[in-house]
Amino acid sequence: MKNFVTFIYSGAAPVGMAETKADKNEKVSCLDTLAKNPLYVGLAIGILAALVQVLLISAGGPEAYGFCVACHTRDVVNVAVNDIAGTKLAVAAISQNAILPVLTVIGVLIGAFISARYYREFRAKTGKAVSYVWYLAGGIFFMIFALFMGGCPYRLGLRIGYGDVVALIGVIAIIAGVLAGIKIATALAEREG
Amino acid sequence: MVAAGWLSKDVAIIAVPIVTLILGLIIGWLGQRSGFCSIGGFRDFFMFKHTRLLFGYLALIVGAFIGYLVFWLITPSAFTNFFWLLHNGLMPVPGAPAGLTVAAYVILAVIGGIAVGLIGVLLGGCPLRQCVMTSEGNLKSLWFVIGMCVGAVVYTMWISGWGVALLKAAGIA
Repeated sequence: MKNFVTFIYSGAAPVGMAETKADKNEKVSCLDTLAKNPLYVGLAIGILAALVQVLLISAGGPEAYGFCVACHTRDVVNVAVNDIAGTKLAVAAISQNAILPVLTVIGVLIGAFISARYYREFRAKTGKAVSYVWYLAGGIFFMIFALFMGGCPYRLGLRIGYGDVVALIGVIAIIAGVLAGIKIATALAEREG
Repeated sequence: MVAAGWLSKDVAIIAVPIVTLILGLIIGWLGQRSGFCSIGGFRDFFMFKHTRLLFGYLALIVGAFIGYLVFWLITPSAFTNFFWLLHNGLMPVPGAPAGLTVAAYVILAVIGGIAVGLIGVLLGGCPLRQCVMTSEGNLKSLWFVIGMCVGAVVYTMWISGWGVALLKAAGIA
């Protein structure tokens, strides 16, 4: 608990400084200090997701759907496939009713790209061809299992905030999976030397 | 009671892509700056006792609760089922395959959760982190995102129906 408090205060210090300094560059860097702290980023995502629901719920459900990488990708892809191939793949009501589906993931890709370029952190990283196959397969299975749960870890977080017990069980299962993954990763690392 | 938010239905159906795109831009920017990652948070905590990312994910839950609570107090009609547990008991918020029993949803959550955690740790991040790394120029993550798109179609076309049929045949759903 004490750690948590010091964590909050260590991040909060620049806020007071922002008010006293008039220099524009300093202010930008203070905002950036906030943006670099996952604590504030998490709070912001949670509150923004609630804001999105209060704005857009008239367009259709489900609830606690403000931000989800898995479901929103599913909506975009399925609407695109439906339009191109004339299929009738299921999407969330909000994406079905609206003129275009929820574009959050496309926004994330563009926003992160702009940010990476702006702060000169864009680096092209390549891997071996076999690793691409692993990542492709990983993406496919990740999506399938995430949709079993009804969302990626972020929507589970939103659902816990909304009062959903099954989402809490899902997060506990994720923790179990993470522990198993750590065991496997360490075993693999030891075998390789 | 029909859920009604700040925007009327006619406006909301046009606003959906715009609002969500802006939300995505903000989250993408913040995610790139902070390295925000849910599964990475658990991983760092259990491997190195680093709490930086873990507190980020916990803050998301707290922030969501605060946000829902505040906006529910302002506009109750947009949150007809808040607080979900009091209205619907253990039934989860819609999203997983519809029309199953609570037991089936718990089983799906446990299987899905374990697999998601496992894949996330082995490939170095949750979906948001993979998207952000794609935008930072990581080609491996790009293949992960492509895999997610393929997985979405595979899931909706085949897996969803089979999974429900399997659960019903087993007498769980």
